[in-house]
Amino acid sequence: MAKGIEKISFHDQIARNKWRSFFLVIIVFIVLIALGYVISLAFDPGYFFIIMIIATIISLLYVMLTYYNSDKIALASVGAKKADKILHRNLYIAVENMSIASGLPMPQVYVMPGNQINAFATGHNPKNAVICVTEGALAKLNKQELEGVIGHEMSHIANYDIRYMTTVAVVVGAISIISQMVLRSMWYGNRDREGKSNIIFLLIAIVFAILAPIVVMLVQFAISRKREFMADAGSVQFTRYPPGLIGALKKIKGEYEPMKVPDAVKPLFFSDTSRKISGLFQTHPPIDERIKILEAM
Amino acid sequence: MISLILIIIGAVILLLLITAFGYFNRFTILQNRISNAFSQIDVQLKKRADLVPNLVESVRGYMRHEREIIEKISEARKGLVSANSSGDIVKKIKAGDALQNAMSRLFAISENYPDLKANQNFLQLQQELAAIEDKIAYARQFYNDSVLSYNNTCTTIPGAWFASLFGKKAGKYLEIPEAEREPVKVKF
Repeated sequence: MAKGIEKISFHDQIARNKWRSFFLVIIVFIVLIALGYVISLAFDPGYFFIIMIIATIISLLYVMLTYYNSDKIALASVGAKKADKILHRNLYIAVENMSIASGLPMPQVYVMPGNQINAFATGHNPKNAVICVTEGALAKLNKQELEGVIGHEMSHIANYDIRYMTTVAVVVGAISIISQMVLRSMWYGNRDREGKSNIIFLLIAIVFAILAPIVVMLVQFAISRKREFMADAGSVQFTRYPPGLIGALKKIKGEYEPMKVPDAVKPLFFSDTSRKISGLFQTHPPIDERIKILEAM
Repeated sequence: MISLILIIIGAVILLLLITAFGYFNRFTILQNRISNAFSQIDVQLKKRADLVPNLVESVRGYMRHEREIIEKISEARKGLVSANSSGDIVKKIKAGDALQNAMSRLFAISENYPDLKANQNFLQLQQELAAIEDKIAYARQFYNDSVLSYNNTCTTIPGAWFASLFGKKAGKYLEIPEAEREPVKVKF
């Protein structure tokens, strides 16, 4: 028992997540400033400062608003509703149990529609965290399996993964909005203006606008896979019962129906929301690998 | 040259002080976590003690011939209530276990009373008590986890040096009896 806990240094992971969240926000500002610079050069260098000021204000507003409302946005985007204490009694008990086992405050509990087994956690810190579970998970998982899944989400909360993933979602959203704007303004922009430098900068801006979101997404997915293993280990630490989580993963493996959720919230989920893509674009490690590691515990 | 040496000495002392403060706070945080873990157990034990009279009430009419076991439960409950008012954690846990054992016997016997098993009130109480039992098990586990991380901090170097400096001693784990490793499953 002691060994299992010692293997994972949660404190290091928490510090890393907090630092990464901060770092990511800094990166997004640098990217935005660089984008603003390229855009202003492509159109008219005389407007550089005005464009920059507007871009900074907009991005600040966007980041603040989405960061502090990210849980509500995520819940609304998947159509989640607050769980009922009587109707979803088993879910409440599972969350209460995991909250006791992890020593974390009781998160808010939500249920989202959908026949697939899945769940996610969101919020910026353990004090205002949310756990959301699909109706399918409630119908198909038994008590131990549900606790395994909730324990996994609780572990994301304990590790501050939720803050990091929230920040990532906000940043991915921001960059995709900006690149969309750039691409469209290029399309409809002043085509009658000539000049070699303009064309070069235009090309740079287009490449930038196309590449930025892809790069960010790949980084996000790569990191997300590692933290899923951590969260699985954390779940076992809370439940002390690997067969529960293994059972849940096996049931998920048997499902083929993909879920329809917005891109930005995909990495938040317990297991992959779609099944067709593989390799780099996957937000989660293969289920077989997760099961194998859990069985070795 | 002398000023350089002074600066180095000063820096070393400052570093030591910062580390000492850091460890002091760490010990405090971990000890607070242990007492928080304990109060979690406490809350659940109190809930259990509060529910038992209702259970006994709902059972009494059906189990006229099982006076012995009902008396045992009442006694165990009294023990838990008096242990709850004392501050001794080991005592509380033991009293809680005794009550749990008495109740699992009652639930086993209730299998022979179909009327009782059909009683909604009884079923609800049984479910609630089973949920509380799970929570007590998880709360104990978290207590031991908290003691473990506290003990790790104050028995490994350099934490051990600061632990002796501040007079901190390793905490005790809650022993979980072999038979209770697996939560007692209440059969319906």
